[in-house]
Amino acid sequence: MNQPAQGDLVINGVSTASGGQYGRVKIDGVGTVEGDIVCTDFDCNGMTKIRGSLAADTMDADGMFTIDGHLSAARSFIDGYVKVKGSLKGDDFVMNGQLRVGGNCEIESFRAEGAFEVGGLLNVGTMDVLLQGRGKAGEIGGESIRVVRKSSGPLNKLLSWFVPRLATELHVESIEGDEIDLEYTQAEVVRGNRVRIGKGCTIGLVEYRTEFSAHPGAKIGKEAKVGD
Amino acid sequence: MERDLISKKELLDEKGISYGQLYRWKRKQLIPEDWFIRKSTFTGQETFFPRDLILARIDKIMNMKDDLSLDELADKLSPALPDYEMRKSDLVKRNIVSSIVLQRFASEDDDSLVYAFDKLLYFYVVDKLLQAGEMSMEEGERLLEALREHFPKFAGKACDLVFTRKMGVSSFALLSAPSELYFESGVKVVARISMTECIEQLKGKWV
Repeated sequence: MNQPAQGDLVINGVSTASGGQYGRVKIDGVGTVEGDIVCTDFDCNGMTKIRGSLAADTMDADGMFTIDGHLSAARSFIDGYVKVKGSLKGDDFVMNGQLRVGGNCEIESFRAEGAFEVGGLLNVGTMDVLLQGRGKAGEIGGESIRVVRKSSGPLNKLLSWFVPRLATELHVESIEGDEIDLEYTQAEVVRGNRVRIGKGCTIGLVEYRTEFSAHPGAKIGKEAKVGD
Repeated sequence: MERDLISKKELLDEKGISYGQLYRWKRKQLIPEDWFIRKSTFTGQETFFPRDLILARIDKIMNMKDDLSLDELADKLSPALPDYEMRKSDLVKRNIVSSIVLQRFASEDDDSLVYAFDKLLYFYVVDKLLQAGEMSMEEGERLLEALREHFPKFAGKACDLVFTRKMGVSSFALLSAPSELYFESGVKVVARISMTECIEQLKGKWV
């Protein structure tokens, strides 16, 4: 493939740039991009804001990163806080920190440590999350879904007692998948082939096809084996 | 026009597929977003699908997924127009558009002229309505004009064609799908065609 050479965008310090097509984008400091941006490689450190959508092959975001539109990146590495007002699409997504997405999320492999909030459907191939804050999603659907929690210290427990909003728990309406493994999850419905409900869960209804196990401490309203 | 719906659970049981497969196909855009219809039932929120569309689509995916990768499948099923082309003479030969339509609407075009997919689609839709005996030749001409002018504006988004008649006066409309449409009494909806389905049918003729 012979593509015309594309310019790079480099911001150091405090600056604003316009959107468009770029090869590499590197933003250090406080950078704002006005408009949609398409690039092969996106790397930002510090406070970054995009007033538009971002489409990139690789994205590495450290610090605070806000996108007003949609984000689509084949590979994303995030350390810090990312807020996407629109939808999120990607193949590999590795995160340490906090993610907020207003719309739907479609990710093939979602590995995260920290907290997340998805307004719509979180559609994942494999999801492996270590909760260190609050998780929230409208729905979660996918092939393999695993959510665990680090044991929280006494200070954290006290904090979540006073401010329940900060409790290290996953809140979701429904979870549907082939293999599901949950801890500290509040859900109305969980449906899957193999379902394991761990400690700290409160689930209204569990429907499973092949396997089911529950931690004695989990609260389950109703469980049912469905299918053949 | 209440469509026959199937719940997600029924669908999985009937086709023997898993949640994971369904979500994967959705991620790969094999199943359009607007087929997921959320409804409240007494057990809470449930997802439904238009029965005929989803069953046909799942069959298609299951049949083809051994031969094609999911990405190739997505190209085949997407509402975006593919870059297929065909010579005018082949159109009749392969029975895609009847010769009457071509005589009437494309008589000045040379037999060896190559049509792009969108042109073919317009002929195909006009032909379809004419064959069903729902439309006159004059109306066909107007439809062709309307499609040429307005269909590109949808730019790959799903849309429906609505053909109405009131007191003998006919009119065409293109609207983005899915949408609900109500008319005053006296208006007769002669036909409502999903352009996306037409694209798929037409694409199917290449195989």
